[in-house]
Amino acid sequence: MANVLKHLPELEGMELGYIQGILKNMDDEQAGLFAQVYRARRKDSQMVLILALLGFFGFAGLHRFVLGQIGLGILYFFTLGLCWIGTIVDLVNYKSLAYEYNIKVAHETLSMMSYTTDNFSNNDDNKTNEA
Amino acid sequence: MKSIRNIQAKLPLELVFWFSASVGVMFIEPHTAHHFTICPLSLAGIEWCPGCGLGRSMKLFALGEFRESFQMHPMGAFAWAVIPYRMFEIIKQLKSRLNYG
Repeated sequence: MANVLKHLPELEGMELGYIQGILKNMDDEQAGLFAQVYRARRKDSQMVLILALLGFFGFAGLHRFVLGQIGLGILYFFTLGLCWIGTIVDLVNYKSLAYEYNIKVAHETLSMMSYTTDNFSNNDDNKTNEA
Repeated sequence: MKSIRNIQAKLPLELVFWFSASVGVMFIEPHTAHHFTICPLSLAGIEWCPGCGLGRSMKLFALGEFRESFQMHPMGAFAWAVIPYRMFEIIKQLKSRLNYG
């Protein structure tokens, strides 16, 4: 049973609770691996906020690109964030945008980990050679 | 407090926004000259912005007037592709978000 505060102390709010739910079935070593991968891939909600703010200066939709929503990013960029209205909505909503993305990343990380731990003993030598 | 939070979690703001935007677009009369607007640039007296005409373009596309739609704003059809897809994605995530941990 790993504690989220020990491995990922920078998390807050809903994300903290969600990741704790994931970590509670892991031992400390697994949780450390998870935390390392997850930390490298997650997007900070403050970055989403700052990129969304750039929408007021003519660079709308950068936060949507960063969150992997390419279509909406293009739409925002070429329409000045839907005439600023979309930008303003995303400024209100930036935390849940980041939360949604981070949950997706957490599940990706989990499925990757289950792959590596299952095949760890077999593929370890091959992987180091390829790298 | 908890019940308010539950309702918020069940109805994400973004979904409400996209849905009301799509419904609102359908009430636009695209051929009238000027109308009540909440566009901040228009209210400030600036005539043109890159997003001007998107709503009318979407309405024209929904009416089947594709050429007029493209002339009004080239991204009208693209918006109809992207926004419903985004709404679908949000709805798909609703279930998995609520039931963990």
